[in-house]
Amino acid sequence: MKGAVVAAMAAALLGTAGVAQAQDDSAAGHRTEAFSKLPYWPGYWVSEQFNHTTIGGFAAPREAGSPPLQRLNGFNAPWNEEGRRRQAEAARTRAGRRADGWGYPMMMDAATPFQIAITPEETLIVNAYGEVRHIYTDGRSFPAAEDIWPTVWGTSIGHWEGETLVIETVQVQMPYTYFHGAPTFSEEAHYFERIHLDGDRLVTEFRIEDPVTLTAPWSATITHVREGGYDRMVQMDFSNDRTGMEGGVNTIEPPADERGQ
Amino acid sequence: MRKEFALAAVMALALASPPVAAHHSFAMFDMTKKVTVSGTIRVFQWTNPHSYIQLVAKDAAGRDVEWSMEMGAPMYLYARGWRPSTLKAGMVVNVTINPLRNGMPGGVVVEVTTPDGRPIGSNR
Repeated sequence: MKGAVVAAMAAALLGTAGVAQAQDDSAAGHRTEAFSKLPYWPGYWVSEQFNHTTIGGFAAPREAGSPPLQRLNGFNAPWNEEGRRRQAEAARTRAGRRADGWGYPMMMDAATPFQIAITPEETLIVNAYGEVRHIYTDGRSFPAAEDIWPTVWGTSIGHWEGETLVIETVQVQMPYTYFHGAPTFSEEAHYFERIHLDGDRLVTEFRIEDPVTLTAPWSATITHVREGGYDRMVQMDFSNDRTGMEGGVNTIEPPADERGQ
Repeated sequence: MRKEFALAAVMALALASPPVAAHHSFAMFDMTKKVTVSGTIRVFQWTNPHSYIQLVAKDAAGRDVEWSMEMGAPMYLYARGWRPSTLKAGMVVNVTINPLRNGMPGGVVVEVTTPDGRPIGSNR
């Protein structure tokens, strides 16, 4: 009798394990299938504006007659009175500021390459300063209001429309706070992006709505190209900004060991 | 340590279009001029957001002057074949810069060569 009970229990456990294994295999199969339908955008992408940046850190002059490239700095956005006030304040204080990194949205228009890792559940955009965007594509909505707050990179959700990644981002700290070359949008700004591959270029169409600083939505298209010369992403922190200020213009400060630091 | 100084001719450089700033404005540099400074590396700072060459050279009166020469971020230098070990303390090199407008001994690096003119690293 006892042996029969043990045998029955063992059979039941094996049956349960078999069902669980089948479910795991099915989930893995679905995920593999989902992966196979996603685009693959390998490479080290840099804003076309900064392609072929020299060892001096500035972009090589573009050929005469090249079409102008748009920027995300917001200089030509339709600012309202509050927006103009913020822009004027930024212009007044910019020269004396130091950056902490690029932040969002400027990391999408930076002199710093990024990589894109696409999975069914999320897309990651990672740059050389270790700045990471998590774009969740698993069908979720934005977190509840009490679960979300302004951050440097904001909170993003997205979905795929064919081979175009459609992204919404909210709760971004005023970008100018983190990087003095960034726009002065408010934390109520809503950022929309559509990213797709067009030949060898990655094209990102931005539309930004901000009831606090803009009179109307502002659009800009940023193109990225693959930069050569990399065999891996070398990430280093932002530790030695020696940009100083003297007589109202920038200069290079002495090295830390000569400043007693 | 031998220290040398030579201030080469200042040349006008006409750019097809103004350079685009990386993380700060390039207005502090006179991009229409090039100055070549020969000296000895004190330290090569391989750091973000900029790398820097600290070069000691003698001024017209024979005094040691330390130049701060700004470069791009290490990620870009790496892509152009540079490494942290490319410049070592004590090396004698020529560094061509667009100089600071304020007259301080510094600028943004255009190219680096050995004393006999062979390029160090690349700029492409």
